Amino acid sequence: MNEQALSGVQVLDCTRGIAGSYCTKLLADFGAEVIKVEDPNGGDPLRNMEPFLKDEPHSEKSGAFFYLNTNKKSITLNLRSETGVKIFKELVKDADVLVESFPPETMRELSLDYEILSALNPQLIMTSISGFGQTGQYRNYKASNLVLSGLGGTMYTSRPANEPKKRPVVQGGFQGEHIAGLESLIATVAALFNRIHTNRGTWIDVSSMECVASTLTGYTGEYSNLGLSRKTSPLPIQGYPGLCNYRCKDGWINPTPGLGAASNIAFLIEKPEMQDDPLLANTAARITAPEKVDALLLPWCMKHDKWTITKKAQELRLCFTPILSPKELIEDEQLKARDFFNTVGHPFMGEVTYPGALAKLSDTPPVAGKEPRLGENNHEIYEKLGYVSEDLVKLQETGVI
Amino acid sequence: MGYRILEGVRILDLTMVFAGPMSSRILADLGAEVIKIESAVRPDVMTRTNVYPENKLGEEPWNRGFTYHTINAGKKGITLNLGSEEGRKLFRRLVEISDAVMENFSPRVMENWGLGYEELRRIKPDIIMVSMSGLGHYGPLRDFYMYMPGMEGMSGLAHLTGFPQDPPLLSGHAYGDWVLGAAGAAALLIALYHRQRTGRGQYVDVAGREAVICQIGELVMDCFLNNREPSRVGNYHSSVAPHGCYRCKGSDEWINIAIENDEQWRNLCQVMDNPEWTRDERFTNAVSRWENRGELDGKVEEWTQRYNHYELMRILQDVGVPSGAVLSMKELHLDPHISQRGFFEVIDHGKGIGKRPIAKQMPAKFSDVEEFVPRRAPRFGQDNEEVFCNLLGMSKEELERLEEANVIGGTFTFVRGKPTRIDLIEKQGSCSVDPDYLSELSKHYGDDIGSM
Repeated sequence: MNEQALSGVQVLDCTRGIAGSYCTKLLADFGAEVIKVEDPNGGDPLRNMEPFLKDEPHSEKSGAFFYLNTNKKSITLNLRSETGVKIFKELVKDADVLVESFPPETMRELSLDYEILSALNPQLIMTSISGFGQTGQYRNYKASNLVLSGLGGTMYTSRPANEPKKRPVVQGGFQGEHIAGLESLIATVAALFNRIHTNRGTWIDVSSMECVASTLTGYTGEYSNLGLSRKTSPLPIQGYPGLCNYRCKDGWINPTPGLGAASNIAFLIEKPEMQDDPLLANTAARITAPEKVDALLLPWCMKHDKWTITKKAQELRLCFTPILSPKELIEDEQLKARDFFNTVGHPFMGEVTYPGALAKLSDTPPVAGKEPRLGENNHEIYEKLGYVSEDLVKLQETGVI
Repeated sequence: MGYRILEGVRILDLTMVFAGPMSSRILADLGAEVIKIESAVRPDVMTRTNVYPENKLGEEPWNRGFTYHTINAGKKGITLNLGSEEGRKLFRRLVEISDAVMENFSPRVMENWGLGYEELRRIKPDIIMVSMSGLGHYGPLRDFYMYMPGMEGMSGLAHLTGFPQDPPLLSGHAYGDWVLGAAGAAALLIALYHRQRTGRGQYVDVAGREAVICQIGELVMDCFLNNREPSRVGNYHSSVAPHGCYRCKGSDEWINIAIENDEQWRNLCQVMDNPEWTRDERFTNAVSRWENRGELDGKVEEWTQRYNHYELMRILQDVGVPSGAVLSMKELHLDPHISQRGFFEVIDHGKGIGKRPIAKQMPAKFSDVEEFVPRRAPRFGQDNEEVFCNLLGMSKEELERLEEANVIGGTFTFVRGKPTRIDLIEKQGSCSVDPDYLSELSKHYGDDIGSM
């Protein structure tokens, strides 16, 4: 295998759930050796998360688990047993990074807190991902993606621009968890970089609620300078046409004009005489009369396909873009030209295609790889620690691995 | 004690607007020296002319736009016109003494200036260059004009957000920009780690749309595994209920409740005083609850409306039910847990703005690492002397000459910007306005908030 950006970095992954798995998946995709440490009794609960191949619930056929665990290794180890803890400490001695997402206090209860582990390995970087952080009055609260999105402040403005009284709706998928995973990656790699000169380990406390709130950053000044708490998107306020997404002949289109190009809407909708109409030429006019913009633009959009509209608009320097469904991504010409999706073979699932790299690095392109079966790497990893086959049988019988 | 994670890392930051500056602010929060480069011809105009303190333009409004201040804190600011030959020459000299260059122009701009990656690495062989764009730097659609709506819309995220009967919904906070910025910061750090080990720099191409697809990867898998099109499901979970956002007693107050298992359901029932309807067979087991989730939501909401959202969150969390108030921007600023952990940091933003809290862009806490409050975002061209004279060894006379030649600094005509139309937003009902925000903030963040 080619040298990758994080080749040689050893990661122990004790996470369960999306945030932690996403963080370590990205480490693995960029070349780190990630060993997922799973409970012998069923492993990571993500193994039972849909979608499953052909909708058949099976712990080795989860698409969610696949996507969130590409390029990792898996071992089983019961951290609730004394022997398990002892073996885990041996693993920690050789690790560069440990990522865990237990509720705060759990690692302490297992005698695996940072103080103990850093005494064994002073250069250890330990990343603890939790809903609300290791300190503060909510630290023992129960989190979920929905709960984090509400408390992190992103959900309150998640309403259609013309319906500010509507029930807020959470973003699709599991954004709260992915945000925490991505920020944990940034913090962890920054600590790894720092360690090259300082030889110092560190304990990183990631609060998912704060991670969600940090995605609001650019807008937080609306309260501290104006006293505003918006209930909807900011775009209509800034003079974008109407209500954000328009229906068109074959789906939906986003009609953002972009800086200084709004007059060109006149040419898009074949009414060149309207080029100097204040409604198009003047942002302030649009802000005060979104319904007039809708009345002008929507009927034309309804008669055309999203890609026809998009391509014509783009030629006029208008930032119109289509709303695409996940399935449409598969045939997308740009994603194809960039080889975005990866395909690898899998013993139970056959050929599996999945969304590829977070970013393209010219010198160290990421390598596609499948996710591990539960305990797939037990022999390899434990034999490196000096355990022989008979030991492993015994450990298996006693439920340690 | 007292060290910074990215101490000694110097980044030239050519990014503008949202995604790029958020990305480099993550790195500044981690202790990198970020030099933000604007020019009289190309100032970071959008964020500089938005959200003025107390909605008053005041003197030098371009130095008071608070969106700019929030996402550019902790950086140095210089003005350098890359459209001029002399400007590009100075930029090359800065590249020689830097670790990375970040930019989010449309794909042709850097090449046209002769400052593409191949050129930069001739100047400094191990330079890392990060380009952030909507659709990536190569491919047939690379020249698309787009902002956040393109990244969220063309990734599948908007398609998946909203109630089933409603149109696809974009985020209310430029989420796509954040994802692109965070992916850019992550990729830069990964490349930096690799360079430190191998001595090799590289070029990083980050496409915002692709980074957003990575955030919904699990759902995209359904297309590949089952040829199925995932759709908008509102606040529902795919297998458990109740799972939703429920109305509370106050005006526009909401609480999220996310039941994961039977035990939590029983605890919820108990808190509700075990009303008769919970014993109805439609709600007694997990499968039937999920099948009858619409009706279940109505029953739960009858109950939640008796409480305030914060009050109810405490009641429910006390019995281990995952739940949380849906916080507005005001409530987030004043939340006791958020302020206890220091998520908002008070910075003196100087004349015309005063002390105000700004949110961290990288909230992770590192043990034994210096906690520092970033310095305020730079005024236009604030650090010209420091960077050109101290770092590049230029004489003050030379600096003055270049200023006169409009290579550095120079005269500019800023759009003056306009006050936010709070009246209009209020009329549309699309925000709530708290006239006492300065005194509310003072209670949490010190009594001199906002005093200039």
